[in-house]
Amino acid sequence: MRSGLGLLVLPLLALLGIGLTFRASFHDPADFTFVNGTEPNTLDPGLMTGEPEGRIASALFEGLTIRDPATLRPAPGVAERWEISADGRRYVFHLRRDARWTDGLPVTAHDFAYAWRRLQLPEHGGEYAYIMHGVRGAEALNRDEARAIALRGPVRAAVEGLVQGAIDPQVWEELVAEQDLVTTVRGTRDPVLRAGLEAPPVDRAAFLNALAGEAERRSARASEARLHYGIDLGVHARDDYTLVVELVAAIPYFLELTAFYPAYPVPRKLLEAPGNERDWFLPEKIVSNGPFELAAWRIGDRIRLRRSDSYWNRESIPSRTIDALPLENVTTALNLYLSGEVDWIPRYPSDLVDALRERSDHYAHAGFITYYYRINTRRPPLDDARVRRALALAIDREMIVSEVLRLGELPALHLVPPGIPGYEPPPTAVGFDPERARTLLAEAGFPGGEGFPEIGILYNTLESHKKIAELIADQLARHLGIVIKPYNQEWQSYLATMRAGDYDLGRAGWIGDYLDPNTFLDLWVTNGGNNQTGWSHPVYDRLIAAARNVDDYVQQPFVDGLAEPGRLRVLLAAAAEAPDVTARREALAALRLHLLREAERILVEEELPILPIYFYVVNGLVRPEVEGFYTELVQSDGQRLPNLQNLHPLRSIHLPGSR
Amino acid sequence: MSAGQREQGSSAPIVAPTAGPWVRAFRRLQRHRAAMVGVAILGVVFFACFLLPTLLGLDPTSTAPELRHMPPSLRHWFGTDALGRDHFARVLIGGRVSLWVGLAATAASVTLGVAYGAVAGFYAGRVDEAMMRIVDFFYGIPYMFLVILVMLMFSETARGEALPVFLALGLVQWLTMARIVRGQVLTLRDRDFVLAARVVGAGDARILVRHILPNVMGPVVVYATLTVPAVILLESFLSFLGLGVELSWGQLVAEGVAVVNPIESPWWLLAWPLSSH
Amino acid sequence: MTEALIAVAALLAIASLAFLPHEATRILGAALLAAVVFVFLRHVAGDVPALLVCAALGAGVWRALPPTVLRRVSFMIPSLLLLIGVTTWLMYLAPGNPFAQEKAIAPQVEAALRAQYGVPETPLAFFRVYMERLLVDGSLGPALKVQGRSVQDLLLPALPVSLGLGGLALFLAVAIGVALGVRAGTRPNSWADHASMGLALVGISLPNFVIGAGLMIVLALWLDWLPVAGWGGFRHVWMPALTLALPHAATIARLARSGTLEVMQEDWIRTARAKGLSEGRVVSRHALRVAVLPVVSYLGPAAAGILTGSFVVETLFGIPGMGQWFVKGAINRDYSIVLGTALFYCGLITFFNLAVDLALAWLDPRVREAA
Repeated sequence: MRSGLGLLVLPLLALLGIGLTFRASFHDPADFTFVNGTEPNTLDPGLMTGEPEGRIASALFEGLTIRDPATLRPAPGVAERWEISADGRRYVFHLRRDARWTDGLPVTAHDFAYAWRRLQLPEHGGEYAYIMHGVRGAEALNRDEARAIALRGPVRAAVEGLVQGAIDPQVWEELVAEQDLVTTVRGTRDPVLRAGLEAPPVDRAAFLNALAGEAERRSARASEARLHYGIDLGVHARDDYTLVVELVAAIPYFLELTAFYPAYPVPRKLLEAPGNERDWFLPEKIVSNGPFELAAWRIGDRIRLRRSDSYWNRESIPSRTIDALPLENVTTALNLYLSGEVDWIPRYPSDLVDALRERSDHYAHAGFITYYYRINTRRPPLDDARVRRALALAIDREMIVSEVLRLGELPALHLVPPGIPGYEPPPTAVGFDPERARTLLAEAGFPGGEGFPEIGILYNTLESHKKIAELIADQLARHLGIVIKPYNQEWQSYLATMRAGDYDLGRAGWIGDYLDPNTFLDLWVTNGGNNQTGWSHPVYDRLIAAARNVDDYVQQPFVDGLAEPGRLRVLLAAAAEAPDVTARREALAALRLHLLREAERILVEEELPILPIYFYVVNGLVRPEVEGFYTELVQSDGQRLPNLQNLHPLRSIHLPGSR
Repeated sequence: MSAGQREQGSSAPIVAPTAGPWVRAFRRLQRHRAAMVGVAILGVVFFACFLLPTLLGLDPTSTAPELRHMPPSLRHWFGTDALGRDHFARVLIGGRVSLWVGLAATAASVTLGVAYGAVAGFYAGRVDEAMMRIVDFFYGIPYMFLVILVMLMFSETARGEALPVFLALGLVQWLTMARIVRGQVLTLRDRDFVLAARVVGAGDARILVRHILPNVMGPVVVYATLTVPAVILLESFLSFLGLGVELSWGQLVAEGVAVVNPIESPWWLLAWPLSSH
Repeated sequence: MTEALIAVAALLAIASLAFLPHEATRILGAALLAAVVFVFLRHVAGDVPALLVCAALGAGVWRALPPTVLRRVSFMIPSLLLLIGVTTWLMYLAPGNPFAQEKAIAPQVEAALRAQYGVPETPLAFFRVYMERLLVDGSLGPALKVQGRSVQDLLLPALPVSLGLGGLALFLAVAIGVALGVRAGTRPNSWADHASMGLALVGISLPNFVIGAGLMIVLALWLDWLPVAGWGGFRHVWMPALTLALPHAATIARLARSGTLEVMQEDWIRTARAKGLSEGRVVSRHALRVAVLPVVSYLGPAAAGILTGSFVVETLFGIPGMGQWFVKGAINRDYSIVLGTALFYCGLITFFNLAVDLALAWLDPRVREAA
């Protein structure tokens, strides 16, 4: 039959086509292979976000400092040493002379100044620019032009639209939904603007005038920063091997930031050549300075890293090649691991916790992540703090962690995960207490759940979110007698719905960017981009602003509305009476943490615009014979800490025998 | 059910007998044992899903995490899931949604697809070409967006209920049905019995409904029976992507797929929803 | 609402091309084909040579290609343009945008990204940008989520993977399905019938993510015959191909069975038997051709679906194919990817439906006469 022959041609052609797509370069297995979870969207350190990208970036590039793999303390990277001024605001980094780009050029201080400036340029669009806003001029360059435009446009229009001669802050905040505008104005030194927000009413004409003045100032600061930032403002290269950085205020964790990918250098020569800005990191173009170079990158298949011959410390890098698989399917990842084809999987199907947790190659440790629910405080009856507190009291978090999650997660009664040195979370009284919950709900006008409207729990689609939402819905129904309906949306819809405030309760999680409470607490300032609960609290806003610049707070301290004014006064006195600059710096650091603690107390004890549920545990499977993989960090003083930030630098990981 | 179409084509009578082709098609169906068994099974499933949970007072949402992953027992006939909920109740309640979605989407696809395909095939030529190009166009629209959109239009009011999914699936399922019917009708339109009907003066509509449609019912029935599970599967694929509804067989399968692993297998989570298919 | 009305009007206008004189649609088809080639060729050859080449090509095609094909092309090109419009409109209706992240991004960052990637705020403006890029630059535009690559950079390397795998799966599906179905149809109610239909039932009821996961455990982990996942040698091909093929094989088997059942009752089969032909010969020479007609109709859309890969199979087996982009494009709201894949898919569907129509005519003389 003719058609029979025709049918045979098809599979032959198909096999031929398939054969053409195999890559000879991937035939040898790498020294170490791991599942990276998802495909990186970019390898440009100035644009990336997210863990999978960060893992690759820290292998390809090296910052001024690195995180020592065993302790995660900052260690010398491209900078071999540095000096910090007594007030903690000025860093001088001395770069090593033997650091090289893969194209043979030396890594210079100019490369860093260029990269840091590039990060802040508004047209660059780097999402992590705000991480480096502590450098003088950075925020002005990154934000102030946009703020000036907003002040002249929507804000002015909003104020002019008011018919009364005075500004009511309530109306004001409803009108100005633009991100961080209110904080912009709150952070101003202009007395009329401040008064307009804090002690209304004020004269409308004067307020408009002040707005225009503020816009003018912002504009001027932005253009000055554009002219000078990275050249002679904030960060600059004194010579090829000396980088000077000036900060707005001391940042206790600054040397960790310099090891974080937004602060990595970029190959200036390559980027200045036309046409490279958006694709310089592709394998055929990339120039990097880290322990590995990008040998190949095939979307949907793998990224292959090869030890870089030009890296100054190549002898210390044990693996010659590393493969990162972008596999998203956790079941397949587990199967690959079990069949011996990969050596590390950072996730596996959560249903298998019981079966896998006893294995010797299983690891689990505390993470720097909080799982919580947002409450839409704009929607009655959720605008009533008593109702929110009743919800918090009726959730049995202990049961969630012990029966559903089962990896030793901690039930969260506050927001900031434990483990930040020097930070004590506020003692909270909002644990599991269905009796009190019912009382509170009755006080709010819903005895026994009578008359309480049906509310929904929105979560983005994921098996574990679904389980928790359904369990919480059942608990709330059981203890409060109210009807709760969990429902899911796919990711983008979920983001849009959350942002539009179109939900009642909504699941969320936050991964701390740096080891400091501020990374969790500054989310909740009025109209903050990630607040999305409609919650606004003037004292909270002031506390966060005060923690950002403690020096200012010491000049103009306030204690109204705080729970522990006595302790605060003691700390203020300690700062004032500090015998030397170092002691003063330490006192201010303690004062700062205390201000954040007061803020967190308002958040999780008084107001509860969010319901913290639990603190994550990071888990996975890694071959027991793998070396240089640290789930526990043994500090120089013998203290053992969990690998909170879940950083596993590839520079130290290897399988013995592969060398 | 598909074996019911034996004597067709040339054996169709020229003069309409007392019993029309539709009636005869139904009688054939009645005589066919396998088909009747199928109908009986369907009846039982319907009864189980729509009446049994109410009769037994089953609750698919009541959790008891300490009783998670219990194998089937007298108390929990189908075992329990990861939150200790009764799997029997969940399978039955989930069946309501799935049957409803599957049958509704299939009914829509059959009605629309058969009508459209029959007209296109019957008139053939330019009408056929114009109509089929419209079908080609609809095939090209990324249906993921249709699904996302339709689900979102209802998201705040429906919160994961089945109607939007049914709408979205119905929007795409009729296309293939239309193509199949059109292909069949093309082969039938010039057959002797059609010509004969024309000779005795039957109009287009009568020929289509009385003579052609009964003869394309074979592939239509087969394809429709394939559409029901296909729609349920598509719904499970949507659940897999996170676009599905709250509690359905598709959702249960997507949940249960985690048990297909070499480590440990609460097999009852997958087995029951699958066998319901 | 206005947009929807415009779309419907445009669609009807395109469909009404069918009522133009045959010669007119032939010329239109040839001209449009030449125009498409011109858009892409001018970047390689320059304007004037490309124009000359395309004029010659258009004339040649007009004379040489069968009218059916040319007519189909005359529909396809305007349909694709309309598809771009409708899809753009749908994408903008959906919540979210390509630059939305969990962490809120500053408005000026979003503005910068929109300017850089050419994604204005309104669908109409985007449609204009996209068409300009497509017609003037001959490019499908930059991918919005995966940085540094254009849509063609992402889709072209994935194409041979999907085509190869899909072709193999299609062959398996047809071979298994037709063999089972015809066998069952010639001996209804035999054990072979029940066995193959039972198998088909399993194939139809199991979602492919369950089949794939099951195959993976049995063939890779228990028996250790094939690798779990990945894409690097022929050993990696069989499991995904089988997973992709099985559900379609099941559907084909059922369609082929019912087709065979019907055909075997026909007069001309009786005639063939009366001539003394062996049963096997009756089936293969006479019955098969007609029995597979419903299968062939089904193959059009099925082939396009299989060849563009299945998202599930690709994510399950870690295969760098095209299927992932259909889903990722929609999930990430990567407008360029969505449009690129939609164009590609629509083109493929048109191609396969054309092939199916030609095949139907070849297989069944009755259809030939009708058309």
